[in-house]
Amino acid sequence: MSEVKAPSENGFFLRAERITKVYSDGTVALKEASLEIHPHEIIGLLGENGAGKTTLTKILSGLLPPTRGRVISPKGAVRFSSPREAFDFGIGMVHQHFALVGMFTAAENVALSFERPFSRLQLTKTIEDLEALMEESGLQVPLDVPVEKLSVGEQQRVEVLKVLSRDVDLLILDEPTSVLTPLEVDELFSLLRRLRDAGKSIILITHKLKEVQDVTDRIVILRQGEIVGDVQTAEATTERLAQLMVGHAMKQEVDAVELSDHELPVRKTHKAVDRSGRSILHVENLTARGNTRDIAVDDVSFDVYAGEIFGIAGVEGNGQSELVESLTGLRVPTSGIATINGANILGVDPRQIYRLGVAHIPEDRLELGLVLPFTLAENAILGVHRWKEFRGAFSILKWRSINQHVRELMDRFEIRAAGPNAPAKSLSGGNQQKLIVGRELAKDPAVIVAAQPTRGLDIGSAYYIRQTLLDMRGKGRAILLVSADLDEVLAYADRVAIMYEGKFMEVCSPDELNRERVGMLMGGVTAAREIA
Amino acid sequence: MSIKEAQQQSRLLRGIHRTLTGLHPVLESLIAALVGLLVGAILMYTWGFDPWKAYFALIQGAYGGSYEWASSLSRATPLILTALTFSICLRAGMFNIGAEGQMYMGAIAAVCITYFTLPPGLHHIVGLIFAATVGAAWSLVPAALKLMRGVSEVISTIMFNWIARWMALYLAIYVLVDPMRAEKTLSIPLTARFPILVPRTDLSYGIFVSIAFALFIYFLLWHTTTGYELRAAGLNPSAARYGGIRTKRTMFLSFILGGIAAGLAGATIVMGLPPTYAIYGGGGLPQLLNMGFDGMAVAMVGRNHPIGIIVAAIFFGGLNAGGRVMQFYGSNPVPLEMVRVVMGAIVLAMSIPELIRLFPMAKKGGQNLIRSLRRTTRSAPEEESA
Repeated sequence: MSEVKAPSENGFFLRAERITKVYSDGTVALKEASLEIHPHEIIGLLGENGAGKTTLTKILSGLLPPTRGRVISPKGAVRFSSPREAFDFGIGMVHQHFALVGMFTAAENVALSFERPFSRLQLTKTIEDLEALMEESGLQVPLDVPVEKLSVGEQQRVEVLKVLSRDVDLLILDEPTSVLTPLEVDELFSLLRRLRDAGKSIILITHKLKEVQDVTDRIVILRQGEIVGDVQTAEATTERLAQLMVGHAMKQEVDAVELSDHELPVRKTHKAVDRSGRSILHVENLTARGNTRDIAVDDVSFDVYAGEIFGIAGVEGNGQSELVESLTGLRVPTSGIATINGANILGVDPRQIYRLGVAHIPEDRLELGLVLPFTLAENAILGVHRWKEFRGAFSILKWRSINQHVRELMDRFEIRAAGPNAPAKSLSGGNQQKLIVGRELAKDPAVIVAAQPTRGLDIGSAYYIRQTLLDMRGKGRAILLVSADLDEVLAYADRVAIMYEGKFMEVCSPDELNRERVGMLMGGVTAAREIA
Repeated sequence: MSIKEAQQQSRLLRGIHRTLTGLHPVLESLIAALVGLLVGAILMYTWGFDPWKAYFALIQGAYGGSYEWASSLSRATPLILTALTFSICLRAGMFNIGAEGQMYMGAIAAVCITYFTLPPGLHHIVGLIFAATVGAAWSLVPAALKLMRGVSEVISTIMFNWIARWMALYLAIYVLVDPMRAEKTLSIPLTARFPILVPRTDLSYGIFVSIAFALFIYFLLWHTTTGYELRAAGLNPSAARYGGIRTKRTMFLSFILGGIAAGLAGATIVMGLPPTYAIYGGGGLPQLLNMGFDGMAVAMVGRNHPIGIIVAAIFFGGLNAGGRVMQFYGSNPVPLEMVRVVMGAIVLAMSIPELIRLFPMAKKGGQNLIRSLRRTTRSAPEEESA
């Protein structure tokens, strides 16, 4: 507490009281989260994907109304109906994806944020103000160049300037370092410290443990919508943070068993893999770029053997999606080799990849896995619609055998739906996923690429899908399991790779890992410290 | 407890939303048609006409007897085909506004068969193939521009409509012109004219070309893998790609099919419309004008379904046919333009749900309004207690 310019008991700037947020689709993003923000402090908001970090800050900055609870300031309760109101109150947010007009200069972009309908554009005044501000903050940006010509780090500085020029008291930064070079990160952090010393409050959203320990005064840890920790940075250890972030043992799984009459889930299911066996999926030095053209998968090599589940854990956005897309024909990688039973699969049409025996359970089941307005039957043949079973002469669809196939899938995979002609969008999330899993496994594949196969599912469906994957392993299939759910990967994978910024931090058996270590690896801490 | 309540509340809202948006498409089209007729009635009333009498005349003129039915169906013939042009492409995720131009080119191609003689039957088929090929070829250029250079098909098809229009006009006036009658092109020879289906009307066997093509498209879309791929690509291109469907190919195919339909529409007009079986160059191609654009309205009311399109085309054909009767109806002569007003109002009414979906702004504005209303009603008692 000593190095923090100690806030007095009532000297808070903003206080969120028991905020609950339920999205319109029924997702509970925040549960009774309370947070007090003082002047003169940098708060690190730490948590896995979907922990509620972004929701909390969106509520603080007026982008979202809370379902329950309130935000109060010393002046009384505040409720923003727009980001502009929050701005006027003194809260500014720098988003992960910049909100800049590419063809405008930095000055024009800042002037734009002051725009009201029919107000006069005061560009000269903005430039003068900005120059003063750049002098004061030490943030240097060329003002007369279109921002699309600037580097990402400079663009971020424009965003920060935009917020600072509104004279905010609370600055929220969402994953600001993910796009910066190490030098730029240092510059950003020294700026944040200066701003803190000048009396501002700063909230830094991140999942990188090292950064949060470097720069913050206080760390708030969110897990599954709840604030599970609020610690002074000086008192926090990396292990403790990692543990808080990823949570304790598989509580959910135990609940599942009590809820259903299934036999005990195979905990610690992993087995030693016979490496002398056949490598089905072989990947060597794979490098791929993401949608923003920067390297997303960085020189990754691995093999998946027959009868093995190879798990990839890590915080989302560290290249897992791009890796999966590269292996399933949806993304053309920059370099590297990937083969299935010796046949090349890089830069090949998905149709040909399926012919080699690949099943792909996609991460985004609504966007990729299903055509939602299509019926169950139509979705059940997506990707296999050209099979002889379903396609007769003149490419006429054999609806009778398709419908029979769907009924079999519905029986075998316990898909609850009105019938083969029910639209896929009428199904619950769990049934939609079972439909995808059923469709993909009906291909009788050699390799199964399962990306986040149980995300957002109810416990019963998740359990069922995991069991199905285990069955497939028993049948000698090679399974690549990519999941942000650490419990899932640790419990079901035979080998685990932890992915961070496009690279595998470590590949080992889950027995060699404990949660603290995984948490640190996921946060990019490599320091090989043995933990008892 | 509170979370459960909130979840229940959101479930209720979703239920209401689903009921509103899940209105059966047929019902939605019917409501739109009624709204259109109602708007027309209000306008007629304002201008001092009797809407009841006018609509009586309209319906009499459209479906009052076999002659009336025949003229309605005759007017529906090209509309079915141009509507299919729009629908096939929309099903594949492309916005093809080019039916008008493709139809002009098809009609011109059909006139060209006057230059050679063939036995009847074969001559018909050659005429249809000519028109279909030229219509498809005309649509391929925008399709290729879209797929190779990313040119918006909306812009390019609109521009191609103008090119086609003036080219067709030039050809009709200077090249294919009838030397005896300068206002029209050469007439289709007897061996290639579609015979009249109902004597003393202008309904020819051309209607069967339209209906057969509509049924073919229905079968293609819902009973073949080709159609399956086309629909999948239109509804969700990324899922289609994931499913191993080559979306560029399906889009290309949709343009070809659309071009064929539009070309055939041109052919049915030229080869099946008595008395002249020719294109009038004078007055700016009056027989062809707007048939492509009206087809888009038909496609909307027909919900982009081939069977729906047949019904909607008969309705629009009936409006056109009945409108002529309406304007001569005894003491209550409502101008023919009123029919176009009704058509316009129907299209607008049809597009309102689409518009709401298109503009999340409007939706958000509505939500904000509701929220602020709710807040004012809720905060009032709170203030009292405080």
